[in-house]
Amino acid sequence: MSTDTDTPSEADILRPIRSTSKAYYALLAVVSVAIGLFLVGWGLQLRDGMIVTNLADWGSGGGVTWGLYIGAFIWWVGIAHGGIILSAAVRLLGMDRYKPVARLAELLTIAGLTAAGLYIIIHVGRPDRIVTSILLNYNETIHTSPLVWDVTVITLYFVMTATYLGLTLRYDITRLRDQLPDRFEPLYRLMTIGYTEKEDEVVERMVWWLALGIIILAPLLLHGGVIPWLFALIPSMPGWFGAIQGPQFLTIALTSAIGGVLIISYAFRKAYGWDHIITDDVFRGLLLWLGFFSLLFLWLQLQQIMSGVFAAPIDQTYATDAKLSHPVYWIAMGLVATTLAYIFAQTLRPSLFSLRRSVLAGGLILTATLLEKIFFVVEGLMYPTFGLYDAVPGSYFPSVIEMISIVGTIGIVTLFFMVVAKVVPVVELHAIEEHGDHDHEGDGEREYEFDDATEEPTDDHTTEANPEVNA
Amino acid sequence: MSTDESTSNVDADAEPEPEPSVVDDLHTDEWESEMQALLEDGDYDAELGLEMAKDAQRLVAGELDEADFYERYHEAVIDEFGVDDRPIAEAIEDADGDRDRFMKSLEELENGELDRREAMKKMGAAGLFLGLGTWATKENAEGGPDAASVAGDGEQGEGKQYGMVIDLEKCDGCLACVVACSQENNTSAGANWMYVFTYEDGHQEEENYLVRTCQHCSDAPCEKVCPTTARHKRTEDGLVLTDYDVCIGCRYCQVACPYGVNYFQWGEPDTPESELDYDHVYDGRDRRVDSRPPKGVMGKCTMCPSRQDGKMGEDKVGTTACEDACSMDAIHFGDMNDDESDPNQYLEQVREENPNDREDYPNRAGDTVSTFRLLEELGTDPNVVFVGNEPGPNAKQVEGPVKYEEIGEVDRRKEVLDDGTFAGGVSP
Ligand code: SF4
Ligand code: SF4
Ligand code: SF4
Repeated sequence: MSTDTDTPSEADILRPIRSTSKAYYALLAVVSVAIGLFLVGWGLQLRDGMIVTNLADWGSGGGVTWGLYIGAFIWWVGIAHGGIILSAAVRLLGMDRYKPVARLAELLTIAGLTAAGLYIIIHVGRPDRIVTSILLNYNETIHTSPLVWDVTVITLYFVMTATYLGLTLRYDITRLRDQLPDRFEPLYRLMTIGYTEKEDEVVERMVWWLALGIIILAPLLLHGGVIPWLFALIPSMPGWFGAIQGPQFLTIALTSAIGGVLIISYAFRKAYGWDHIITDDVFRGLLLWLGFFSLLFLWLQLQQIMSGVFAAPIDQTYATDAKLSHPVYWIAMGLVATTLAYIFAQTLRPSLFSLRRSVLAGGLILTATLLEKIFFVVEGLMYPTFGLYDAVPGSYFPSVIEMISIVGTIGIVTLFFMVVAKVVPVVELHAIEEHGDHDHEGDGEREYEFDDATEEPTDDHTTEANPEVNA
Repeated sequence: MSTDESTSNVDADAEPEPEPSVVDDLHTDEWESEMQALLEDGDYDAELGLEMAKDAQRLVAGELDEADFYERYHEAVIDEFGVDDRPIAEAIEDADGDRDRFMKSLEELENGELDRREAMKKMGAAGLFLGLGTWATKENAEGGPDAASVAGDGEQGEGKQYGMVIDLEKCDGCLACVVACSQENNTSAGANWMYVFTYEDGHQEEENYLVRTCQHCSDAPCEKVCPTTARHKRTEDGLVLTDYDVCIGCRYCQVACPYGVNYFQWGEPDTPESELDYDHVYDGRDRRVDSRPPKGVMGKCTMCPSRQDGKMGEDKVGTTACEDACSMDAIHFGDMNDDESDPNQYLEQVREENPNDREDYPNRAGDTVSTFRLLEELGTDPNVVFVGNEPGPNAKQVEGPVKYEEIGEVDRRKEVLDDGTFAGGVSP
């Protein structure tokens, strides 16, 4: 049940490719500056060493050895989960309401993982050796090093998502080929190589399985697995150690992922007048999910606080007390709580809903999760079990170069969207086809039947091609 | 004990032997005496334990069924330990789950992949697990590792394992070792591979010291987490080293080490490459593991491998720079698995000098010497044994008799590193 009278058309989804506004160039300029600054900073770091950061040795050294880079790494991997949630909702649960933003979310996965990968590279002291040192010893290190597990799962996740995106894009590109700019012809030809309509059915099934694979892999193995295990398996850092980190990391990841999708969706809707494609309904739905995961986020924090203050061992008591007495922790939690309160309120009183506010909620959550992640990493290292050193807890505040990296990676992710939007449609053809007046015959091949009650019956997975769009 | 023997016991060429004989083969005299020794350390009936351990092996091998096992030992266990609170069925189920692993171990044994001791340890584990878990907990509760298992009676494992015995009661906090190490290794300011704490603990009046090197752990978490194998344990002598040519500088080893002994090379080292001595930088295997690390990789106390490999002259084999510098004779470096080595001899001597009154109190330990390994409860199996007081969880470092700055060293390295931080460091 769409409240919009406008029927989305192909022209709508092709708009980003066909027209380029002044605002686009302005944004491009801003983004370039951000990336430029980041590159300069990184250049300095490569020249002078990691000393340009404010990191130092823990122990007698009086610092922490992991900081913003690792925190931001986790943050980006978390945001990358946007693709998972939306794909899960759309492909597996059949919540077609989210179909218009599914591809944006999947692109966010690719971009987020790229930023995360970049953080691994800028975090290490000898990036030039990463490939040789890790790959050549892979068969040995894969057994015991959580960092190697991370690299493995992230790579796998990236490849799966890219394949998945590539497969779904073939369908659209073939059908829209005539309306796409010729200058990218070689790329399109490459992407649609060997395409026949017969493959649609097979691809549909492959995509379903791929989606299933990613949905199991990413939350359970990645953000509820190898990423928290980087920390949760270290018994000498009581702020990190323990089984709760898996679920806790996952809920944080999912909140930031939805935050990311809210912002990207809003940006595209605003920029290209897609009010009738990415409807208010989409935002309302995303907000509800955000509220749900925020609640879990806070609840798991409560678990940790309780077990940390009641009758915990000495080292854990120190770690928990320190956490509870740090303003950054309360700022992060306050932001999450505020978001949650707003979402709750707008559910009770729909008039409180507005697009702007939902985007703000997304922004708040992203800020909160970034703060929480960096704080988690740093705080854990500041309160080790072996606290005999006078220089423990150490001190840390990210240096300018470290902070610029956040701006830089946000710039890179933005640029990624700006470029991709010029080349391929960022809204699936399927998403507008279901609004259109195409045939409603069931094709008998549906993989999933779950139709959201609030939506009109849809015939989404067009295993039979739509004649008019067929090039 | 040698691995040859074990391979001769289990004929590698023959068809896989039926399980009973394989198990029998493992019940060698040697196994028995080792088990016996292990068991006699406890207060409980060694014979019962040994029988149980044997039968546990049979159980795992499928020669004995769980009901029999239960019948045979339930009573005895209650008699001996007072309780048999571990649900035996559950314990046996666990042992059953181990069966595959057990068979695999046997295969590995036949192929000579696993040393005999390890295999025995694993299989005997079932027995220890069932009967002696109680004993193990009790021993720990009684306060720290007992004298015999701390060092030197061969319980630590096979082969050479370098380590140290450091007598904290002799240390006077002069920091000579700190200086010697930094000079020997040309470490940058504040990278205190050797670090000496002066600390106060509760109401204790006296000054306490803790002399901290890398503990060269036998189960080193730093080695486990390293994504590149740069951090590795030398097979020939158990030294934990960093290959400066492989390390990517991810600093995970530093995060995972419970003792805070790692010092990353954040910027250009204070001593340029050209001033380093090639013989000191490369160890006997020609791997770059000694002396200060280059920019962007991890460093820590190495226990001077180029000395041990004879590259610094024969007279320096078996010594370390910090040991040489200590005029109080507090540091004793050597093979912890060798009873005759300097650290073990030293320990024995200290024990002999401090006998306990066993005539009037036969239950007392043999001596009054307090020894400990740092954070042993974390399971790192460290190879530095301290003589003296162990710092409690609320111990706090205080200013020592000699300050780091007084001897030209830097205590808190961050203060130096802040100079290199872009746009200035913030050190609240
Ligand atoms: S003390 Fe730390 S660095 Fe040294 S071997 Fe043990 S875990 Fe590794
Ligand atoms: S810093 Fe070097 S030695 Fe340490 S874990 Fe990373 S790669 Fe291994
Ligand atoms: S053993 Fe060698 S590297 Fe370690 S503290 Fe002593 S001198 Fe330094």
